[in-house]
Amino acid sequence: MITATTLDEQGFGIPATLEELHTYLQAAMEVEHLTIPVYMTGMYTITPGTNRTAYFTLRSVLLEEMLHMTLAANLLNAVGGKPKVGRKEFVASYPAKLPFSGPELPEIGLQHFSPKALETFLTIERPRDMAPKPKPGDGWTSIGQFYDCIKKGLDNLVRDLGHGAVFTGDRNHQVGPEDFYNSGGEVFAVHNQDQAHTAIRVISEQGEGVKGTIWDSDDLIFGEQRQLAHYFRFNEIYTGRRYGQHDVPGKPPSGPLVDVTWDDAYRIDGNSKLADYRKYAGTSDVHAQAAAFNSRYAALLSYLQTAFNGTPRAMALAIPTMLELRDRSEQLYRNPHPDPKRAAQGLSAGPTFEIDAPSFQEARPHVEQNLALAGLEAGAPIDLSALSPETSETFA
Amino acid sequence: MTGTTVTADDAARRRYHAVIVGGGWAGSILAKRLGAQGWQVLVLEAGNGGTETWPGYLDSLSTFYSAVAKVPNSAYRPNTAAPSPDVLDLAPVRNPQTGQPEFTAQGYFVQNGKLPYGTDYLRALGGTAMHWLGAVPRMHPDDFATQTTYGYGRDWPLTAQDLQRWYAEAERELGVAGHTAEQKELGVVTDPHHQYPMHHIPQSYIDQYCHRKLKDAVVKDETVPDEKYKLKVTGLPQARNSTPNPEYDHGTYRVKGAVGLPNYGERCVGNASCVPICPVQAKSHPLRLQTGLRDNVTFAHRCVVTRVRAAADTGLATGVEYRTYTDPASPVSRSHIAEADIVILAAHAIENARLMLFSGLATKSGQVGRNLMDHPTILNWALSPEADGPLGPFRGPGHTSGWETFRFGKGRRTRAPFRIEIGNWGWGWATGAPMSNVATALGIGGDAHGAVRKDGVFGPELRRLLGSAIGRQLQLQIAVEQSADPANRVTIDPARYRDAMGNPRPVLTYNLDKHTRDGLFAARLVARKIFKGLDAEDHTNHAPRDGVPPLGHFVHQLNHKTLDLAYSGAGHGAGTHVMGTDDRTSVVDPFQRLHDHHNVYAIGCGSMPSIGTSNPTLTMMALALRSAAHIHQALIAARRPIEVRTTANPDASTMAEATA
Repeated sequence: MITATTLDEQGFGIPATLEELHTYLQAAMEVEHLTIPVYMTGMYTITPGTNRTAYFTLRSVLLEEMLHMTLAANLLNAVGGKPKVGRKEFVASYPAKLPFSGPELPEIGLQHFSPKALETFLTIERPRDMAPKPKPGDGWTSIGQFYDCIKKGLDNLVRDLGHGAVFTGDRNHQVGPEDFYNSGGEVFAVHNQDQAHTAIRVISEQGEGVKGTIWDSDDLIFGEQRQLAHYFRFNEIYTGRRYGQHDVPGKPPSGPLVDVTWDDAYRIDGNSKLADYRKYAGTSDVHAQAAAFNSRYAALLSYLQTAFNGTPRAMALAIPTMLELRDRSEQLYRNPHPDPKRAAQGLSAGPTFEIDAPSFQEARPHVEQNLALAGLEAGAPIDLSALSPETSETFA
Repeated sequence: MTGTTVTADDAARRRYHAVIVGGGWAGSILAKRLGAQGWQVLVLEAGNGGTETWPGYLDSLSTFYSAVAKVPNSAYRPNTAAPSPDVLDLAPVRNPQTGQPEFTAQGYFVQNGKLPYGTDYLRALGGTAMHWLGAVPRMHPDDFATQTTYGYGRDWPLTAQDLQRWYAEAERELGVAGHTAEQKELGVVTDPHHQYPMHHIPQSYIDQYCHRKLKDAVVKDETVPDEKYKLKVTGLPQARNSTPNPEYDHGTYRVKGAVGLPNYGERCVGNASCVPICPVQAKSHPLRLQTGLRDNVTFAHRCVVTRVRAAADTGLATGVEYRTYTDPASPVSRSHIAEADIVILAAHAIENARLMLFSGLATKSGQVGRNLMDHPTILNWALSPEADGPLGPFRGPGHTSGWETFRFGKGRRTRAPFRIEIGNWGWGWATGAPMSNVATALGIGGDAHGAVRKDGVFGPELRRLLGSAIGRQLQLQIAVEQSADPANRVTIDPARYRDAMGNPRPVLTYNLDKHTRDGLFAARLVARKIFKGLDAEDHTNHAPRDGVPPLGHFVHQLNHKTLDLAYSGAGHGAGTHVMGTDDRTSVVDPFQRLHDHHNVYAIGCGSMPSIGTSNPTLTMMALALRSAAHIHQALIAARRPIEVRTTANPDASTMAEATA
C-alpha cells in the first residue's frame, strides 16, 4: 500500500498533473484492496451454513470492492497509467491505518465475524455526511471525499489539457463485462470523461449511498434491483434489523429482525503472524498452510496484474484462484491455533495475509506458466485445459 | 420476482385472456411472451413457490445437502397436496417369477406395465427444470421424419427447417453456451449465420482424455454390420453461464445472474451438482424468465388445476377449475374457477394428459395419454488404468461431451439410435459413487451376518484407496431413442387411484419395443468396445445379483447373443398429446392447439411425435415460442371487427387490404 501511504504522509489535495492523477488512482486501487482481506476474514470465519444473511451481505460488499478495484484500474488505464497490483507494495500490513483518515479513526485489523468486526466495517464505509468534518491538516474521514478529489483533479486536467490529452489509454486494456461480471453493478470500459464520472459515482455510491439516502445507485445506473449502500448493509447485520422503506441514514433501521448468531464463527487472533505459526511448525501444519495461502494470494494478484495490463481475459485465471483461497481459508479456520495457549482459549488458526516478496516468488513460476499455457485471446473462448495443477499436493 | 403474485382466492376474482397451467419452462416462456404483448395472463402453479426468493433458494440447497439419496427431486420438499413422482418410488422384486414385472411402484404413479417408467418430474414453481441438467442439443432433421426415412415411429407435421428460427430464440431465452461449428457439422444447425449467445462450456479433462486415447477411432456396431461409426468427441450445448460470445448479436448479450439476490449468480465453475441444484445459479432455470415480467402477468402458487371447463355445446373452454391448499403437508383444499379466453396446459406431458383425460377433452382421436416416451438410458461403468493417473471425475457439469455418430444414419432402420454421453460424475448414477465407495472402504454395511466387517480401512490407507477407486471412474450413459408406441400410455382410474387431494393419479403402462431394446443392446456392445479402446476395466453389470434384478432389467437376445440389460429413466417424459394434421390420429395441431377445442393448447414435450436422441427441453421451448406467437395472433384475430367502414373515404379500407 506504498502509494496510498506515501500520499497520506505527504498530505494531499487535488491532483494537479497527469502524473499525480496516476498516483491518486493507484492509491485508489490500493485503498479498495485494503478492505478485501478484512472483509474476507469477516466472511470466511462464519461457520459454514450459519449466518447466511450476514454471509451473503459480506459477500455482496466484497464483490463490489472487487468491482471498485477493477473500475479504478480501468480509470487508471484510461488516463494512460499502469496499474501495479502484482507486488508486495500493493498490499497493506494488518492492522492497517485507513489512508487519508484522521487520527481519531481506529486501525483496521483482521477480525473474525463479530460485533467488533462490524464496527470496523462500518467505520470503513461511513458516508461522508455521517463522518466528522475533517479539520484542516487532519486527513480525511471518508473514502468518498478521496474520490471527490480525484474527480475534481480529472475535470481540471480535461479543462486545462483537453480531453484527448488526458484519455490516452490503450482501449484494449479496459476490463469489460465479458471478463468480469455479477458483482452488483457492472464493470464497464472507461474511454471518456462521462464514463469516468460514472465509474467514480458507482464506487462512491455503492459504498456510501446516494447522498442523503440509504440506497446505492445500481437501480439508476444499471437498471438493477435497488440495494442498500455498504454502510447500511453492514448496519443491518450489526443491529440485527433490516432497514424499512422509510428509513433515513442517521437513524437505526426500523424494519424486521435479521437472524444473526455471533457465536457461529471461528474466533481468531487477527494479529497472529506467520512467525507465530512458525514456532509450532514441528507440531502443526498450520504454518505451511498459511504460507501456502499467502503465496496463492500472491498468485491472485499476479493474475490481476496481467488482467489490468493488456490481457483482461487473465481474469479467468483469477477466478479459480479465488475459489481456492475460499477453500484454504476454511481449512485454516477449522484448525485450532497452533499455540496451545491460544488454542485453549478456543482460538482458530487463519490466513495472515502477509503477502511478501517470497510469496510472489513462490507463485511466479506457476503463474507465468499458466499465463503462457492458457488460451486468453480476447473474444475467443477461454481455454484453461492446458494448465497443470498449481501445487504438488496430491489427494492420496 | 416481478409480475404479480396473488393468492388463489384473488386469482379467481378476475377474467383473463389466457390462463396457463404450470410455471415451468413452457409456462414461463408463454407468460413472458404473452405478457409482453399486453395480454392479461394468469399462471397457476400446483406446487410451492419460494425458490424464487433468496432464503427459498438456500433452503432448497440445504435440503439437497442434507438428503441421504441425492436424487433429482432431493432439493425440493415433499408435497402431499401436489405430489411428484420420484425415482425412489421404484423397487426391485427379489426372485421375480418369469413373465411377471420385476419391480414394484409406490408413490404418485400407478404402474401396471411390463417395465418401469423410471422418470420423475417436479411439481413446484419452475417445474422439473429446477433439477434439469441444462443439456440443450437440437434435434436432427431426420428425427422429424423417422417413419418416412427409416420406417419406424411417427413423423412430425413440421420439419427441422420450420423450427430453426424458434430454436435460435429458445437458445437466447434459455441462455445457451455452445460451439456453433460442431453443431453445424452434425447437421442440427442449418442457419449459416448461427451463433450461440455464449462460448461453449469447456470440455472436461475426461472428455479430453477420451479424445486423446481414441482419436477418431472407427467402431463397429455389431447390429449394423455394414455401417462404420467414427468416434468424435463433440461438445454439448448447455444452458449454463459462460463467457458472452462477441459474435452473437453484436456482442450485446449479458450473462444472467441469480434470482432473488442481487450481486449473485456466477459463470459455471464446476460445482458438479447441476442435478438437482446449482449452488451459484450458473445453470439456467425458469425463475429467470419470471423475473422482469410486467404486472399484467399474475402468478398464483399452490393452485392445483383439477379440470379444464369446456362447454358441452361448442367444445370451447371457458376456464379452469383449481383447488388451493395452504399446508403442503395436508390435502385440505378449496375449489375455485378462473375464467379465460384461452386455456394453455403446460404442466408436463403426463400431467397434461391426466388433465385432458379427467376433463373429457379431445376424445376424438383416442390418442390422449398414448405414445408415452422417454430416453431409456443404459449406464456403463469402468475403471481407467492406474498408469493413466486420475481422471478428475465429479467436476463440472454432468456431461460436457458425447459421441454423436450413433444418432444418425441407416443404422436407425435396424435399431434405435443412441447418443453416448461421456459422464463427468464418475459412477454416481450407476453405483451411488462416491458415497458408496466411502461406505465400502470404511466397511459400512456389515457382512452377511450383520457383523462389523474387518476389512474396513481408515487414515492414509482410506485416502489412497478412495483416490484410486474414485479418481479412475468412467461412466458412459447412453440415451436411446424410444419411438411412439400407442400401447405406452397414461390413463386414469379415478374410482381406484386418487391422490390425497382427490385428483386422479396417473396410471402408467410402459414397455420397450424391439427397436428400442435392440438400440439398448447395440449401445451396450459399443460401450464395451469403447472401454476396450480406452484400456479401461469394464465393471458394468446388469445381471440380477443374489436374486435381485437391477431396476429396468430385461434379458435381450439378438443375433444369437443374449445379454442382461437394464435402463434408467432420463426424465424426458414426452408424447402424450402428439401433434399432427389429422384430427383422427393426433391430439394437437402443429401449433399445439387441440383439434377438438380451438381455444385450448397443450404445450410441451407431450406434443412431440418423436424425440430423436436430443434432450427435449430446447425443442419444447422452440415449439412453445412458436405457439406463443400463434396464440397472440389468435387473441388479436378474435378481437378484430368484421368490417371497418369509414365515412370519410370509402376506399380506404379496401386499399389497406389490397396493399397488405
